[in-house]
Amino acid sequence: MEKVLLKNIDNPNSADIGEYRKAGGYRSLAKALQMQPADIVEEVKKSGIRGRGGAGFPTAMKWNFAMADPKFPKYLICNADEGEPGTFKDRPILEKNPHLLIEGMVISGYALGAEYGYIYLRGEYPAAKDILEGAIEQAYKENFLGDDILGKGVRFRLSVHQGAGAYICGEETALIESIEGKKGQPRTKPPFPVNVGAWSMPTIVNNVETLSNIPYIIEIGGEAYSAIGSSDCPGPKLYCVSGFVENPGVYELPMGTSLRDIIYKHAGGIKDNGKLKAVIPGGISTPVLPADAIDCAMDFVAMPKAGSMLGSGAVIVMDESVCMVRVTYRAMKFFEHESCGKCTPCREGTDWLRKILERIEHGKGREGDINLLSDVAGVMSGRTFCPLGDGAAGVVTGMIKHFRSEFEEHIRDKQCKFRN
Amino acid sequence: MIEITIDDRKLSVEKGITILEAARRNGIKIPNLCFDKRLRPYGGCRMCVVEIEGGRKLASACGHPAREGMVIKTNSPRVRRVRQSVLEFLLVHHPLDCPECDKAGECALQDLVFEYGVPETRFTGERKHAQPDVRGPLIELISNRCILCAKCVRICSQYQGRGALGLIGRGFPTVVQPAFGEVLECDYCGQCIDICPTGALISKPYKYKARPWFLEEKENICSFCGVGCTLTLGIREGRILRSKGREGAGINDGNLCGRGRFGFDYIYSENRLRTPLIKEGDEFRDASWEEALTYVARSLSSIRDAHGPNSIGAIGSPRCTVEDNYMLAKFMRAGLGSGNIASSEAFGYAGALRAFSLSFGIGSNPADLASPLGRDVILVLESDPTITHPVFGLNILRAKREGSRLLVADYRETKLTRHSNTWLQLRPGTLVALLNGMMNVIMDRGLFDRDRVSGIRGFSSLEAVVKEYTPAMVSEITGLTGEAVTDAAVTFANAPRRLVIMPLAVSENNKGPGSALAAANLLILLGEEPSSLQVPAEYCNTYGMLEAGIMPRGGGMDVFDMLYKPGHLRALYIMGEDPLVSMPDSRKIKNTLRSLDFLVVQDIVMTEAAELANVVLPASSWGEKEGHFINAGGLRQRIRKVVEATGKSQPDWQILRNLGLAMGINLGAKSFQDITKEADDFIAGGRREAEGAPRPAFHPVAYEPEEPCDSEFTYTLVTRDVLQHSGNMSTRSEALKLVQAEAFLEINEKDAERHAISDESHIKITSRRGAVYLRAKVTDAVPEGVVSTPVHFPSGGINELTHFSGNTCSRLDAVKIERVK
Ligand SMILES: Cc1cc2nc3c(=O)[nH]c(=O)nc-3n(C[C@H](O)[C@H](O)[C@H](O)COP(=O)(O)O)c2cc1C
Ligand code: SF4
Ligand code: SF4
Ligand code: SF4
Ligand code: SF4
Ligand code: FES
Repeated sequence: MEKVLLKNIDNPNSADIGEYRKAGGYRSLAKALQMQPADIVEEVKKSGIRGRGGAGFPTAMKWNFAMADPKFPKYLICNADEGEPGTFKDRPILEKNPHLLIEGMVISGYALGAEYGYIYLRGEYPAAKDILEGAIEQAYKENFLGDDILGKGVRFRLSVHQGAGAYICGEETALIESIEGKKGQPRTKPPFPVNVGAWSMPTIVNNVETLSNIPYIIEIGGEAYSAIGSSDCPGPKLYCVSGFVENPGVYELPMGTSLRDIIYKHAGGIKDNGKLKAVIPGGISTPVLPADAIDCAMDFVAMPKAGSMLGSGAVIVMDESVCMVRVTYRAMKFFEHESCGKCTPCREGTDWLRKILERIEHGKGREGDINLLSDVAGVMSGRTFCPLGDGAAGVVTGMIKHFRSEFEEHIRDKQCKFRN
Repeated sequence: MIEITIDDRKLSVEKGITILEAARRNGIKIPNLCFDKRLRPYGGCRMCVVEIEGGRKLASACGHPAREGMVIKTNSPRVRRVRQSVLEFLLVHHPLDCPECDKAGECALQDLVFEYGVPETRFTGERKHAQPDVRGPLIELISNRCILCAKCVRICSQYQGRGALGLIGRGFPTVVQPAFGEVLECDYCGQCIDICPTGALISKPYKYKARPWFLEEKENICSFCGVGCTLTLGIREGRILRSKGREGAGINDGNLCGRGRFGFDYIYSENRLRTPLIKEGDEFRDASWEEALTYVARSLSSIRDAHGPNSIGAIGSPRCTVEDNYMLAKFMRAGLGSGNIASSEAFGYAGALRAFSLSFGIGSNPADLASPLGRDVILVLESDPTITHPVFGLNILRAKREGSRLLVADYRETKLTRHSNTWLQLRPGTLVALLNGMMNVIMDRGLFDRDRVSGIRGFSSLEAVVKEYTPAMVSEITGLTGEAVTDAAVTFANAPRRLVIMPLAVSENNKGPGSALAAANLLILLGEEPSSLQVPAEYCNTYGMLEAGIMPRGGGMDVFDMLYKPGHLRALYIMGEDPLVSMPDSRKIKNTLRSLDFLVVQDIVMTEAAELANVVLPASSWGEKEGHFINAGGLRQRIRKVVEATGKSQPDWQILRNLGLAMGINLGAKSFQDITKEADDFIAGGRREAEGAPRPAFHPVAYEPEEPCDSEFTYTLVTRDVLQHSGNMSTRSEALKLVQAEAFLEINEKDAERHAISDESHIKITSRRGAVYLRAKVTDAVPEGVVSTPVHFPSGGINELTHFSGNTCSRLDAVKIERVK
């Protein structure tokens, strides 16, 4: 497959506007500005693209909601928070191909009638900040951003807003609160951001990868795009593979590539000829899959059927040397630390779960702790305010489902056998 | 309307409301811990979960919209299980110190746990460590009891517009703490106390005072400002221990400000009068009622006989009831035959009444506390209603939240200017110039209906006056830019629904009747009705006092003649007022009082004026007597006797009736019912007389410069109100004194630097009339060249500096300041 998102990435100057243009950059923008906004949205609809931020929401549908709202101004926000552990797929775009994102945002802004854009950037990406800001400056200079883009009377202004390191700020409504200068906590939905978003105005939040697909959709047309990868959620997809593989990294592959192929064909298989034990396929919030469950297509439709989710496409691979109790405990420490504290089940539940897991991992587990874990996770599940708490519960439930015996051993033997 | 089914009941509810709201309106209870109708749905506690038929997950009712055809179960076993688990979560780290918690017995958490029953917690291990508590002067936060519902944080920022509390940290270690700094510095409204579902936020004066189940609850109307809030008083063993708001009760619907909540304890002030006093030589001695009244009766009779009824005057009180004031007026008019009846409102609301009458041809214009809602533009003029009328002010903030544009013209920074869309920071006292300038722009640009308006009386003279007030000239006077004036005019004129708000407080020297006239001109020019001019009457019964006849009529003298011109009066009867504190130029008043042959002061406490009196009569205070107040909206509300009278004090009306009898004058009023009915008929008669369509007329006002500053008196002194006080009565409240106990002088940072003044420095401040000493408060809220002070505090003696002149626009004072070493 031709590389779309990571095109030109081996060029050391790929972030420079000149290089980007040499490789055909900003042509889609010129083309888009000849089109009617509604026609752009139509192409995006035909492309069938779904949001790459994790939930896989159809992008055109989100856009149509925002466009149907008569309020102005509208805001376009690029979600570059990339906080899900295991995820580093947006980073190469931000650092190596920033103009692709900018081009995608200008086209989207034009299509949506949004004249102001923000890139909400993960606080831990300081290099990306400099690169993005440099690229934005270049784009202003060359009139791809500004008040009269390419002399077409189109206005789009773009700036970078850096987060302060809270995972929850990747959730779109918490992100909006944060942009407004408030504490990052998710908002009640409805109203949805497409109607009442930043400063109460219609706001479209899309992931970096989603927006970076837009120029290509314009270039080859929605229909051609829809032929790439899985038919019900097409397009190129960035998978980031980490853990016990020979070649960890970001891979651009057609959506729906099988999990097995990603691990063995592309990432070079298990490190040091080890044996696969488990995979977390879509970032830490997605349920774990045991080694025998990896013959599934990595897309938004197939993964839930396989017992997990595509999430952010962050594939975390674990071999036989990994203690699953420890992984669960580590994950829960993360969730406890990142829970925003707004809702009772997540705030209290993550703390409680972490404490139980901690004692099990340290050989102090008790009779009944596994049931207690299941119970606490059970009452959290589906009752938290936002998906963070759900994800935390899902991790525990999934781990106990597939690796219950490891928990039992810890409690029985009063120690972790992987620790020696 | 849509049809939904809740617990097998078919309901028809408004489209767009939440499930919880739909249930509430139909009397179906869904338990909740983070919901409040004043706040945006939060969805944090998860207690309000309900089952929606066909839905996979349970929904939280407080944020979930009701949709056509929904079938909802609020109490299924599944739902109950979830609630139980939520409670279990909440109790994991709760200290369960109910035995010493003030809230026990009326705590939502306790009640819910009782209702749902929580299995013994399976949590083992260390509980959350003690979190730091927060101690303010009136409010305490016991963090370990907090369930993080964030209601306090939200009411403070979303509703109270203050944002003094914040959720600090995230996740499990989150705590509620002052948003800025370590101590809670805020409005002290206590709204957060009432809204807290647990005992985490408590009222300090009430702490450990009583178990709620021993409290007897009685409602009464607040005795401070003109809003007329209903207080729910908690009484034990004959003493009021607390005051709170109750949703659904009164026009405040559960809201209160700090005065209403904490200030009631002025009735327990140490210097309450307990017995009549008669002056002998320079000292007072206790006297019986009989002796005192006989003495007063004899003295007043002989003065009347010797010098005629017009040698006697009386001052009524906006703090006393309708009945009290009516009786005073009747005693003077019918009893003595004198029309010299006045009040401090000559410096305040009476000016507004004059403007209503001249401009609109109406005798009254009751304020509408809901008036800000739904207006496109609200223009607030040199006032901060969030201070003078706090619960009314909440509606201004609400209107702003709901989309109104808020324009605030004020010399100083206030909560309202911070919430405004546009802050027109003009020089103090230059309001009339701004209003004339706005009219200039409106006329110049034809933003009004000339055909309709040009026929109104006074139009051509208005045109002539206003013509001179070009934006450039107004800019010179006010210090605003010409564009700001123009923009304000255009914004205001182009708005379909407009409102002007400007309380006229007795204590404020930056506005006057002329300001109200100018505002009326602007509104009439734009074809507005009187209801677009909101001048809420200041105190709990200002409106009722005036309606009860406390104003000079039929050639009677007003306060200006009575108090500032020695020799006009021989005797004066003061009821519930201290002119030496509340009225300007107190030295002059003191001279007048000293020159009298006979002074009677009837009050609840010893006042500065009472010190000069021949006889002092002890009156029962609010809470100790029956009666009525009429609030700023013209609403007559019953006030109740909830505790026994202090000492030998009696209700004012009763004292006056008995005095009449001692003079051989029968004023009727055998019983409270008699006097109430009579006063009510009198007021109804007055209202009928005042009925009739408005007859608008223009009364152009020219800007008159205030007392000029010169090389000696270089600062302009602006007197004002502070939030924790109302008049000077509240300064007797121990609770409110914890927040603000004495007068202070606000001075701009730069000016302070020039005089080497820092916070708390002692300052001597001198006007052409006198000097007083105050502590400094260095701030950037007042501009350079302006100093500001509240007048509430008798000890401050601010009114020794101030003056009263013929200027109807303002009575600002030029002063000099020196640091005292
Ligand atoms: C706890 C949480 C964290 C999230 N973090 C991110 C993130 O880092 N980046 C992202 O693009 N979306 C994140 N999302 C998803 C966003 O809420 C949102 O759905 C997404 O940005 C929409 O973009 P898309 O439609 O292009 O996928 C997160 C969601 C949750 C609940
Ligand atoms: S589930 Fe609740 S506490 Fe957890 S992050 Fe979401 S809103 Fe915050
Ligand atoms: S008393 Fe009022 S201003 Fe102070 S914290 Fe509570 S709600 Fe906020
Ligand atoms: S202090 Fe009270 S109102 Fe505030 S968050 Fe805690 S429990 Fe809720
Ligand atoms: S002072 Fe006014 S606003 Fe405050 S509680 Fe009393 S009546 Fe209400
Ligand atoms: S009341 Fe609905 S979640 Fe708290």
